[in-house]
Amino acid sequence: MIAIINYGLGNIQAFVNVYRKLHIDVRVANEPGDLVDASKLILPGVGAFDHAMKSFNDSGMREDAECMVLDGNVPVLGICVGMQMLADSSVEGSEAGLGWIGGKVLPFTEATGAQNLPIPHMGWNDVTNIGDSPLFSGLEDAAKFYFLHSYFFECANSSQSIAISNYGVDFSCAVNSNNVYGVQFHPEKSHHFGVQLLKNFSDI
Amino acid sequence: MSATEDKMSEYRICKKCIMDTSDPGIIFDDNGVCEYCQNFNKVILPSWEYGRGHIDELQQVADNIRKVGKGKDFDCIIGLSGGLDSSYTAYVAKEIMGLRPLLFHVDAGWNTDQAVGNIEKLVDGLGLDLFTEVVNWEEMKDLQLSYLKSQVPDQDKPQDTAFFSALYTFARKHKIKYVLTGGNYSTECCREPEEWGAYPGIDKMLTLDIHRKYGSRPLKSYPIVDLLVYKAYYQYILGMKVFKPLNYVPFVKSDAEKLLKERFDWEPFQHKHHESRFTRFYEDYWLPKKFGFEKRRAHFSSLVMTGQMTREDAINRISRPEMDDKFIKNEFEFVANKLGITVDQLQEIFDGENKTFRDYRNKYTLIRVGFNVLKALGIEKRHF
Amino acid sequence: MLRPRIIPCLLMRDKGLVKTVKFKEGKYIGDPINAVRIFNEKEADELIVLDIDATTHGTEPDFHRISYLASECQMPLCYGGGVHTVDQAKKIIALGVEKVAISSAAVENPEIISKISAEIGRQSVVVVLDIKKKRLIKAFDVWSHNATKNSKRDVLSVIEQVQKLGAGEVVLNFIDRDGTMKGYDIDFINKVKSVCRVPLTVLGGAGSLSDMGDVVARCGLVGLAAGSLLVFKGKYRAVLINYPSDEVKNNNIYNRLKHD
Repeated sequence: MIAIINYGLGNIQAFVNVYRKLHIDVRVANEPGDLVDASKLILPGVGAFDHAMKSFNDSGMREDAECMVLDGNVPVLGICVGMQMLADSSVEGSEAGLGWIGGKVLPFTEATGAQNLPIPHMGWNDVTNIGDSPLFSGLEDAAKFYFLHSYFFECANSSQSIAISNYGVDFSCAVNSNNVYGVQFHPEKSHHFGVQLLKNFSDI
Repeated sequence: MSATEDKMSEYRICKKCIMDTSDPGIIFDDNGVCEYCQNFNKVILPSWEYGRGHIDELQQVADNIRKVGKGKDFDCIIGLSGGLDSSYTAYVAKEIMGLRPLLFHVDAGWNTDQAVGNIEKLVDGLGLDLFTEVVNWEEMKDLQLSYLKSQVPDQDKPQDTAFFSALYTFARKHKIKYVLTGGNYSTECCREPEEWGAYPGIDKMLTLDIHRKYGSRPLKSYPIVDLLVYKAYYQYILGMKVFKPLNYVPFVKSDAEKLLKERFDWEPFQHKHHESRFTRFYEDYWLPKKFGFEKRRAHFSSLVMTGQMTREDAINRISRPEMDDKFIKNEFEFVANKLGITVDQLQEIFDGENKTFRDYRNKYTLIRVGFNVLKALGIEKRHF
Repeated sequence: MLRPRIIPCLLMRDKGLVKTVKFKEGKYIGDPINAVRIFNEKEADELIVLDIDATTHGTEPDFHRISYLASECQMPLCYGGGVHTVDQAKKIIALGVEKVAISSAAVENPEIISKISAEIGRQSVVVVLDIKKKRLIKAFDVWSHNATKNSKRDVLSVIEQVQKLGAGEVVLNFIDRDGTMKGYDIDFINKVKSVCRVPLTVLGGAGSLSDMGDVVARCGLVGLAAGSLLVFKGKYRAVLINYPSDEVKNNNIYNRLKHD
């Protein structure tokens, strides 16, 4: 059972649709009780970092999720702002991140080469898989995904970056540390590439 | 034990094809060969000869069509679904007969991506023009729901009716004399038994009676031309001619698929009629599971009779469904959603008691008489 | 490489889809569900669905229908039509839609952009501007209500305002080119591109893939939306959903992209 953490932000339904079509058990988790028997967690997120962190903290599900992820070794996949929330902090806000993967979240505007590009980074971009993470199994060649974001994740430990993309600057678009995964793009809206990735996550 | 009960307890399958007693009216000869095979061997084959030796006849018709269509934007019209038969007809018309057909497509709301892709490739590859008639979906939906609620087996009638009626209406309106269709012996020589719900032609009275009982909005633009009107009036009085070029050329399914694939990058379908998502669902799930009728049995039998498939392969293929359970589940949901009802409501209809066209007002007897009259007049040359 | 997005734009009217010419007529082209489904199977980059009568008729967005369309999309979906409040926008996002388009509300009540943006994030706020060239001078006004109401506000100043307020994308819809298939207005697109700091998408006039290539060759990365081109085929404007493959996009559009 994969639980989609619904703390009021993000496109929950899209994940349910993908997993239903794959005939993989999925549940929208609205309260801690919904997380209990989950074998995997998905942490979606859109909008501003602080708003997302506060909403997650207020949802009552953070402690349980944290316990499952950090103590119970339950795999979690953060998506878009959900990935950024895995970091220690974000330049976008003042709330502390979850700190599940060391790093901070930076704006494109401060990165070399990206100042003149329209923000947000929106559209289909190449994703180059630089590790051998099972998350990208079958997506080794010419994978492209849909991006929609203004900030990106900078890993404290660069070996935890498992895929890169470029928007004026190379940035980590997927991160992994043990059972914690994050992707900056939207697999739930990336056609067969995304379906493959979400299926891979369910198989981890 | 009565005769009917006795018959139901017995199962027989043809020794040559795979037609069986799921057609309750089937008759076998002393050698265990069914009437469909006999009809093929005695009636169809002697004149058809696998489409060989008809090239002169074909060119004669082509000359006529070109003559009649001189000076017009197109000289004939072809109903194109994107499936094999109509696609190959378009190819034969343009490349072998040298005609300038207008390709006419009716969009009843259930096209698959593959079907529209094939149409696009043919239009581009053959350099022909396309016209699409889009059936108003709200009316289409209302009529399809009415049919489902009526519990008759022939659930593809709303689509079939729209396809043919729109084609004939357009041809009549634009004074197009020749209508080319993909009808053929090669893949259709084994008729689908009427007992499987294949109602003969378009019976306006039947459709409107079903719609009156179960429909909820008027059919203002839905195309419906009664069988007797298009047979007697359009064809006999107005002189519209329906021509089936595929019976005049060798037409082997796998060869035709290969040619279209190589020439146009046309994509073959897994099975006949899969160009419409509804038809696929109806023929591969609804009809066999709810009514016990497998149209594939007739489709495969045609291929067996014409030597394109072995009987053994046909038996293997029919013993497993074309679509797996997961796919069917998705399709069931899609069909329900598309028709604007819940999965439970569609399931309720599925579980409901089966009926036949005889439960509704119909012109069946008249149509049958009409066929015989037209046959006597020499207009209808129905070989089966 | 970030690719220019090629975006089918579908117009809903009375539960069906229509295609207009210069915002008029409205030829029936079928049921939205199947069209969306086919674009999804063809792996379109993104989809814009606009209910063109919602604002004019003063009706709410059809949430049930939107939810169903969203469930058929494994691609980003932008919905517009009749969105005037924060609650409506939130509800639409919750149904599985990525982006909400605001059009007449953005002109009549620009502050709504900040409010919606604060709730759903600016990346999900699209401002669609229906624009029409002024007489005599080379400037465009923003119109609304199916091109019947002229706000008499200049496009460039509206763009400046909405991107400050929190728009995450601007869609320029050229009223006089709608359905004409005679090419995009590249000069004006270029002018807007130079002031637009959020992603820009253009709609109106696409008649071929080379029209799209022309835009990106001159203006760089711009979202390319189209109606007629992706729903009609040939001289009879036969309804036939079509969408270029990656290879075709590469040869006709991507390889012509001017790099900023």
